[in-house]
Amino acid sequence: MTTKEYDLAQCLEGARRGEPEAARALVEQLYPLVIRIVRSHLPVRAAEEDLAQEVFLKLFSRLDQYQARAGIPFEHWVSRLAVRTCLDALRAERRRPEVRCSDLSDEQSAWLEFLLLDGAAAPAADSTSAREVIELLLSQLPPAAGLVIRLLDLEEKSVKEISQLTGWGQSLVKVRAFRARRQLRKLAKTLKSSV
Amino acid sequence: MNNFDSKWQTCAAQARQQPPGDLRAPAGFASRVLARASVPETPGLAEVWQALVARLLAGSVALLLLCTALEWPHLRERPTLQTGVENTVAQLLWSL
Repeated sequence: MTTKEYDLAQCLEGARRGEPEAARALVEQLYPLVIRIVRSHLPVRAAEEDLAQEVFLKLFSRLDQYQARAGIPFEHWVSRLAVRTCLDALRAERRRPEVRCSDLSDEQSAWLEFLLLDGAAAPAADSTSAREVIELLLSQLPPAAGLVIRLLDLEEKSVKEISQLTGWGQSLVKVRAFRARRQLRKLAKTLKSSV
Repeated sequence: MNNFDSKWQTCAAQARQQPPGDLRAPAGFASRVLARASVPETPGLAEVWQALVARLLAGSVALLLLCTALEWPHLRERPTLQTGVENTVAQLLWSL
């Protein structure tokens, strides 16, 4: 079944009946959505393909729970499932990697200085090292705090969207974001002062 | 918004520029998922333990209720401990 022929309702029906072709089409169609989420919330010691497989296995085992109600598109349901799976994986990874300032590259150190020092200029456009510094700091946060900052700042989701994705109330999302930002500042200072 | 937060937003905006990478499924990914999905899931140790504990608890409660029901008519008939014995037990417990 090619992308052009992809019909969600038909694929869902087929997958529920256990038709491999329909299930395969569903996996291929949803893979970009799932892998994008998995890559953004990947625990340090997990392989992205394993986690993506985990998401799809949950999807097939819970397919009967999905009902096409107005306002809840299937992709949204899958996104929520993927985010929850990643959060579980992040929680299972109890020990967070210890990072020291000396482990950082020059570009990463420049971003860290920019974040902490008054008057420091933003480093030259370098999305990779900016992303690495952000990932490094987020990996030190508790899973729920890291997730909320990733969704807000890296994926530019609204509080309402995060609430729908995670199942947390909107005020909880705001509180978690506020606390996470405070923790981030503290973490950046600790990292800068570490040798 | 304080200085750190505004700088964080600059850093995040730069990080968002990074291209998402290849989003195509690797070869055989769907087959691997379907193969794993077709294998019946074996319950983990936690699930087995949970089921056993629930049954054990239900059994214990049933046994307790049965014993209480059997003993109920005789509860008032039974004489209390003699005062001497009661005092000795109380003293022993106190010394512990």
